[in-house]
Amino acid sequence: MSRILTIAKRELTRLRSRFKRSSRPVVMLILAGASVISYLAFQRGSVLSSGLYRVGVSPGGPDIQDSRFDTVTVARSAGHSMLGEGALDVYIDGDQVTPGNDARSLYAAGALKLYLEKQELARIADRYAVDSLDRAFPLRIEVNYLPGPTEQEPLAGQGTSLSELVGTWTSASAEPTGADPGAEQPPPDAPGSRPQPQPRQAQSETDPAVREQIKAMESGSRLPKIEIEFASDKEIIIPSLMSPPIPFAQVVIAFLYVLPISFVSVFFTSSFMDEKIDRRITVLMSAPVTPFEIIVGKMLPYVSFSLASVVIMTLVLRGNLLLAMAIFTPVILFIFAVYLMVPLVYRTFRDTTFMSMLATTMITSYLVFPAMFSGVSDLSYMSPLTLAVRMYRGEPFGLKEYLFSTASMYVIFVFSTYIGTRVLNEEYLTRFQPLHGKAAEAIYLAIVRSHLYVSIALLSLFLIPVVYMIQLATLAISLNLPIRYAMGGLLVVATVIEEVAKSAGIAVLLEKKDRGVRTAKDVVRLSFLSAVGFLVGEKLLLLVSLSAVSESALSAALFSSGMLWIPLVAHFGFTSVVCLLTRRFGIRYYPYAVLAGTIVHALYNLYVLGVVL
Amino acid sequence: MNAFAAIVKKELRSVARERTIVIAITIQLFIASFSSAILVGMLSFYDPDSIGLNARVNVKVGIIGDANAPLIRFLRKRNARVTTFSSPSDAERAFRAGAIDALLFVPKDSGTVIDMKLFLPESETRSTLVLMILKEPMKQHENYLREKRGVHVRYTDIEGIPSTAYEFRYSVIIPILMFFPAFIAGSMVIDSISEELENHTLDTLWSAPLSLNVILAAKIVAALVLAVAQCALWSMLLRLNRIPIQNLGLVLLLAAVLTAIITVGSALVSVYFRDRERSQFVYSLFTLLSAGMGYFLDASPIAVMTRLAAGDYYTGVADVAIYGALLVVLLAAFFSMAEKLIAVPS
Repeated sequence: MSRILTIAKRELTRLRSRFKRSSRPVVMLILAGASVISYLAFQRGSVLSSGLYRVGVSPGGPDIQDSRFDTVTVARSAGHSMLGEGALDVYIDGDQVTPGNDARSLYAAGALKLYLEKQELARIADRYAVDSLDRAFPLRIEVNYLPGPTEQEPLAGQGTSLSELVGTWTSASAEPTGADPGAEQPPPDAPGSRPQPQPRQAQSETDPAVREQIKAMESGSRLPKIEIEFASDKEIIIPSLMSPPIPFAQVVIAFLYVLPISFVSVFFTSSFMDEKIDRRITVLMSAPVTPFEIIVGKMLPYVSFSLASVVIMTLVLRGNLLLAMAIFTPVILFIFAVYLMVPLVYRTFRDTTFMSMLATTMITSYLVFPAMFSGVSDLSYMSPLTLAVRMYRGEPFGLKEYLFSTASMYVIFVFSTYIGTRVLNEEYLTRFQPLHGKAAEAIYLAIVRSHLYVSIALLSLFLIPVVYMIQLATLAISLNLPIRYAMGGLLVVATVIEEVAKSAGIAVLLEKKDRGVRTAKDVVRLSFLSAVGFLVGEKLLLLVSLSAVSESALSAALFSSGMLWIPLVAHFGFTSVVCLLTRRFGIRYYPYAVLAGTIVHALYNLYVLGVVL
Repeated sequence: MNAFAAIVKKELRSVARERTIVIAITIQLFIASFSSAILVGMLSFYDPDSIGLNARVNVKVGIIGDANAPLIRFLRKRNARVTTFSSPSDAERAFRAGAIDALLFVPKDSGTVIDMKLFLPESETRSTLVLMILKEPMKQHENYLREKRGVHVRYTDIEGIPSTAYEFRYSVIIPILMFFPAFIAGSMVIDSISEELENHTLDTLWSAPLSLNVILAAKIVAALVLAVAQCALWSMLLRLNRIPIQNLGLVLLLAAVLTAIITVGSALVSVYFRDRERSQFVYSLFTLLSAGMGYFLDASPIAVMTRLAAGDYYTGVADVAIYGALLVVLLAAFFSMAEKLIAVPS
């Protein structure tokens, strides 16, 4: 431990020496400027599409306060003539809205419609809120949830049947306040007149919900706004005030936690690059420290900084500190695990930059995208930011959800640190090779020669989260294609990724002409172990996923013996095809061997899906 | 000139050899793809009309209560299949059998507040989707009730088409694709210069009959060529995806001018700090600072790019020329300072 602390201290000294003398004030100035400007920009809210539409308004027309609309006050005849020339997209004459003839004008009118509808709601709320809320917002809908068609239980959590509930409701609503349901309705007020108080329904049970939603609509006009929301006990919908369930503000807050971590990662990756440039790595490796201590020691100051930023942000935003630490610790470990790989495989400075950018992009997408669907789909739990969103909405989550979100992050951290300790040597770091050569070398170094079989099985198992994330990225990119090509392409790419993950360790051994793969039998044996490792990892991932997103009965069915041996045999078969072909024709033909394994695997998938045979 | 071209070629060759450009393009494709995926997902909830969700998803709604309520007409108009039930037990059976997705209890209009009850499946995804599709007919019914109670709502009959996807394409996707190459180019210039400085190869290059300004300019031009090529590629792909870019020449010119500003700025940062670590850190912060400041300007690069690409009547050469002038000033400052900065001992 003391050696780890010594390296951490050395790392801090290195960092301090970088920012001494004249560079420090410059950096501090830019840092302060960036912080102030970011804060002001954040406070100002979204100004995307600023000035996108040109709107003409007649004198006395509505006041438009949306930055998307560049408005000009013009008389009717001039307005219509500008509309004809294309100098305006829309012209508003009193209550009459006229768009131009092109598509852009119709989009402008569509945007204007939503904006003006909202303004109208605000006007109505303002005018009628005090004494005639029931006339301004006459429709309130209480939402209840029932078990779906596959469930046979009666009303979950309510202990009563639907008929009973409806019966109660119908009788209660038939005479809610003692009024005669068959009586004639009072005549409506004349438009424009002051609202008349309704003596019978001055206060409704649902009025507080309406007022709360009006307040939310009025304050939510300048998103993103930091506001910690708490779910109400009973869900009452007012159709015109209903907002989409996307927790935009909470996702922005959760993302702000990740931002400082991405910034300090530059220093973490540079630390390893520095050692390489000055050949100090040779001196360091000859000291009585292990590669593990070097990695952890170098990581420690940055992880500590990241944890401190989580603590500060949580205290400022008045979140739950323990919960925030539990959520963001695996996120921090995951981010540093990914950034650890960057300096280990880099060859030039450009490599580092692009790989860091790729890592940042993928990490951000992986964390942010699912969180946008928090409360919409259980699959959103794949990102720990969903847990943070729920925390800031005051919604609970269980251990299963926590494990589903974070287990793969812990696994990737362990895997990455292990690989780091195996490849951290001067020869590996300083050799210039193609990227795939670097990756192959890293895999070879990761395999423990004295425990070959266990290594191959564990390699496949630990690659599962990596495969899972690459497949997710492929899914996103495939969305650019028409759906039938996207599905086909996704099926093929996902299969290729799996086959590479299972066979990579054995292929590297074949390339190195390792004595562990001298015979075809050796290759078959290793293929079997790789298939076992992959299957165990796959099923573990599935178990965690399904326990979080679905009923346990389904996961039990998936783990029944009948469904285990078939995929095991299948995985074993595909991996054997790839590895035996590679052994037969040489490593240069490895891509073709993967292709052959992929074809067999894809056919099996199509058979399982019932597309063929 | 030959020496200048030789350095440009050398830079481009090394990018091709290292395959780093493939990573750069993958990053941009990935960002654009994820943005689109988020857009489609969000539109399903914010604006189901804009992606035709109402037409594609067939929602079956069961009604108990007032079988003559106008809500039923509004639901049918939105392609919902409506079934009326005379008793709750029949409705319950239909719900359990999966014959209906949602059940709505509609009381008779007594002239006061109407308290309906909506029953949805427990599955969050399905119920959210159903709710979002039911939103518009329910809003229409609410407006009908308001009118009936003498509360007039204006602007409900504006003829337009949903704009969310249009705005997203022109304000997010196109600016990302046109400016991200510039951001990458800035990073490339920092890497290229700081690598020469840290490995002391710039001294060797400088000892050849080449001025420092020529070396630096060649590195900037190489990054600029790559960025503009990427922008041209993106504009072609956007066109293939039926997203037309108006004023294409000016859009590419603005992207090129912005790239030049960013690369000259990043070159200045790297000759000042002389190591990659500080330069990249300051460059990232500086990019954040510039983007933030641009946010406050009506003529920010993103706003100008959006308006140009969308074919705004009032945006044109003059808006691009402002950035052109800024570039000229920056270039003059850079070339007069670079040699002095390099000469200062670190």
